[in-house]
Amino acid sequence: MPTVTIDNQAFAAEVDETILQVAARNGVWIPTLCYHAALEPYASCRLCMVEIDRGGWWQMVTACNYPVRRDVTVRVESERAIRARRGVMRLLLARAPESPELRALASRLGVTQTDFPTVTEAEGNCILCGLCVRACEERIGTAAISLTGRGVERKVSAPFGEPSEECILCGSCAAVCPVGTIRLEVHGDEWELVPFGKKGPAQRCAACGAVLTAELVREALARRGPAAVQGILAGEELCARCKRKKLVGQLLAAGGSGAPSAPSER
Amino acid sequence: MKTLVGKFESFTDLEQYRSALKDRAAGVDCVIRVCCGPGCIPKGASKVYEAFRQAAEEADDKTVSVVPKLTGCQGLCECGPIVTLDPGGIFYQHVQEGDVAEIWRESVLGSGVVDRLLHHDEKTGQAARTTEGVPFYQGHQRIALALCGVIDARSIDDYIAAGGYQALAKALGSMKPEEVLDEVYRSGLRGRGGGGFLTGRKWRSAREAHGEPKFVIANGDEGDPGAFMDRALMEGAPHAVIEGMIIGGYAIGSSNGYIYVRDEYPIAVQRLRDAVAKAREMGLLGENILGSGFSFDIRISRGGGAFVCGESTALMASLEGRVGEPRAKYVHTVEFGFRNKPSLLNNVETWANVPAIIGRGADWFAGIGTAKSKGTKVFSLVGKVKNTGLVEVPMGMTLRQIIYQIGGGIRGDRPFKAVQTGGPSGGCIPAAYLDEAVDFDRLTELGSMMGSGGMIVMDEDTCMVNIARYFLRFLKEESCGKCTPCREGIAQMLHILDEIVGGRGTSGDLERLQELAVLLEDTALCALGKTAANPVLSTVRYFRDEYQEHIENHRCPAKECRGLFRYQIDAAACTGCGVCRKKCPVEAITGKKKEPHLIDADKCTNCGTCFDVCRFAAVKKV
Ligand SMILES: Cc1cc2nc3c(=O)[nH]c(=O)nc-3n(C[C@H](O)[C@H](O)[C@H](O)COP(=O)(O)O)c2cc1C
Ligand code: SF4
Repeated sequence: MPTVTIDNQAFAAEVDETILQVAARNGVWIPTLCYHAALEPYASCRLCMVEIDRGGWWQMVTACNYPVRRDVTVRVESERAIRARRGVMRLLLARAPESPELRALASRLGVTQTDFPTVTEAEGNCILCGLCVRACEERIGTAAISLTGRGVERKVSAPFGEPSEECILCGSCAAVCPVGTIRLEVHGDEWELVPFGKKGPAQRCAACGAVLTAELVREALARRGPAAVQGILAGEELCARCKRKKLVGQLLAAGGSGAPSAPSER
Repeated sequence: MKTLVGKFESFTDLEQYRSALKDRAAGVDCVIRVCCGPGCIPKGASKVYEAFRQAAEEADDKTVSVVPKLTGCQGLCECGPIVTLDPGGIFYQHVQEGDVAEIWRESVLGSGVVDRLLHHDEKTGQAARTTEGVPFYQGHQRIALALCGVIDARSIDDYIAAGGYQALAKALGSMKPEEVLDEVYRSGLRGRGGGGFLTGRKWRSAREAHGEPKFVIANGDEGDPGAFMDRALMEGAPHAVIEGMIIGGYAIGSSNGYIYVRDEYPIAVQRLRDAVAKAREMGLLGENILGSGFSFDIRISRGGGAFVCGESTALMASLEGRVGEPRAKYVHTVEFGFRNKPSLLNNVETWANVPAIIGRGADWFAGIGTAKSKGTKVFSLVGKVKNTGLVEVPMGMTLRQIIYQIGGGIRGDRPFKAVQTGGPSGGCIPAAYLDEAVDFDRLTELGSMMGSGGMIVMDEDTCMVNIARYFLRFLKEESCGKCTPCREGIAQMLHILDEIVGGRGTSGDLERLQELAVLLEDTALCALGKTAANPVLSTVRYFRDEYQEHIENHRCPAKECRGLFRYQIDAAACTGCGVCRKKCPVEAITGKKKEPHLIDADKCTNCGTCFDVCRFAAVKKV
């Protein structure tokens, strides 16, 4: 088992674990933006830069995708690594100076303001981490949005700039967006994915009327979900509270003693 | 002669075919080589070739046997279209369609020359009959381009007759894969695509890598502005690249080759496609090559149309049909490359050196060049130099030799200011280093790099801040935008440079540029971003004063940055013709007819109209 030594503390690691995984497991904080445990590392934001010892020289690498193959010595809090991470953050702040989420992360990094002017345009504070696109593609299996354009023209967009046909309004992109650029908004019975303009009806609890999910998600699950999911979907659709109520009612009617242990949420 | 029916099935088949070709060539009275390379085509070379071809066809009365050849780049693009004739090695330049009849009469049928089409010495006016008398051709040594410009670029027969595929036969017939690998290793060959990585070492890693199948890939993406080395090679001697790749495949144990060609190179794509098809037809590609039991084939892939597609991981992504974007990986592509399999990527010029190394031996190759840079390098010499063109010289030649001897010096004999080498992420080298030997390490020490071989010569009218800005703007447009430092950092640097050349520079700009340069180098995902600051760093290093003049005094010493110099009328030269007065859009010029005119500096907007319209060069930049 290789040992990863981070700022003089030695940790055991599995082969092919990343430096970030080892650090996170051991409570060492390395800032990230484009990383999500459920997705393949993408290493595009460059915020997780650390130094590793290459025997005589120190190489700057991204912790999120550097695979541990043998013993490795890492410096997270070295002057060079800190300068690099702060530098990247200052560039991001110059791009999206209004983003409260970014500012909060920046201040945790020790960056309270940026001396760089804003020279690139960010739609709704988008910092192009690509999490939304990857969540949609890797996890949902839908490529409803993609990164288009080169260089400073790069942006996240739905095909042809129109609301995507593929999008099922699952909201995964909104859930992973670290700066709140993408939001799933509920207007009465209609859901809207901002800023992509995709709209669709909400599905409600058959008993209490609480909003459950978008109809499209239900349809997509029915279409391509595993058999077990389809079985559930075939039945009555209730929210978690109503489901619990119903279950308790059934148990009581069957003469059960008291409430069952709390059912897990769906 | 023995005409080939079917495929070569043995080494003997190939050799017999070769000697038959040679016999046939011996019966030819005259060979006319018309350069149809990248420089000559736009100047009408195709028509010249066509005229010669027709003349040969019509004159086919069996009294003379004339073979016109359409060749790749012959080098001296400045003076194209170039036509050379054998016997005698007569060298003609600036040949047009209308000159063909005269050349035919004088040099094909007769034994004379057409004097006006010969190269004349700039000073003495003396005519040169062959390339030996043309300074541009002195000091060249062609290895990668050995047959480019010599053989008909479309003909596999020409390639074979000139010794082509002999190295392949040698490798397959008498060497073990390890021996081939060893030979390349010992030759000291380093990658010609930019990094200068030791080719033999890369091959070894590819051979040792686990995973099947393995891939052999040629990088012909050549995206550097103004560069055409690889294009010339692919168009002029496609089989040299193909032969090198087959040998490489044999050495590392791969049967799958790809050539990735820049999308804007349709002729190269066509030549390579035809060459691959022909080689396959003759049994030089495909199953059981020359009866050796070794199989290898090549596919041609058109590039994704972006500069960054030349970067190894982006190239492989593009080959797989995905977006040509670099991937962040700490495992090299020789282990996990194309389709996650071991992939050996070399530049096309690197590949074209391989047949010569196998054919003539590692020792021969290692005997050329400097201690750590072996062999030759192809450069495209452009900019403010008298003879622009394609140059292949031994490593270690000085910049002065290349620029002054081969290049003929600076246009208009103006003072030399700098030479930019290494493509967009290279650097500018000033006059003080003209006597430095050109090799990988020395250029890097000088803050530039070998890159793929672009060489842009600049004279005193070139503003170095503006040059840095030009390259940075190119890189900003070509950055894929995936990673933060490259996308945002280059834009920030460019913003600072825009301010400086606009006369709005402030103290601290140089420090900010330097800080951003370090940040890019430390944090960018791929080499495009990591080296993007080079043009700025090298110009700040050697031309700091010029930056400071812009920033502190709002003056451009080269008088290129509009607004950072003024226009003034030289009273002695002004004839008072009044043209400038009439053309000035803001009526800033006054003066009586036939008397020296005057520019009112307060009204002048520095638009430069007067400078452009004055026929007496009386308007000066000060
Ligand atoms: C932005 C970028 C563009 C590149 N473009 C090319 C190219 O056009 N041709 C090339 O051979 N190498 C190019 N390279 C270098 C390749 O990544 C790779 O190192 C090279 O093809 C390896 O071949 P070699 O070892 O024979 O030089 C480029 C690199 C970068 C970072
Ligand atoms: S360095 Fe530039 S070109 Fe390379 S991945 Fe980053 S943004 Fe793309």
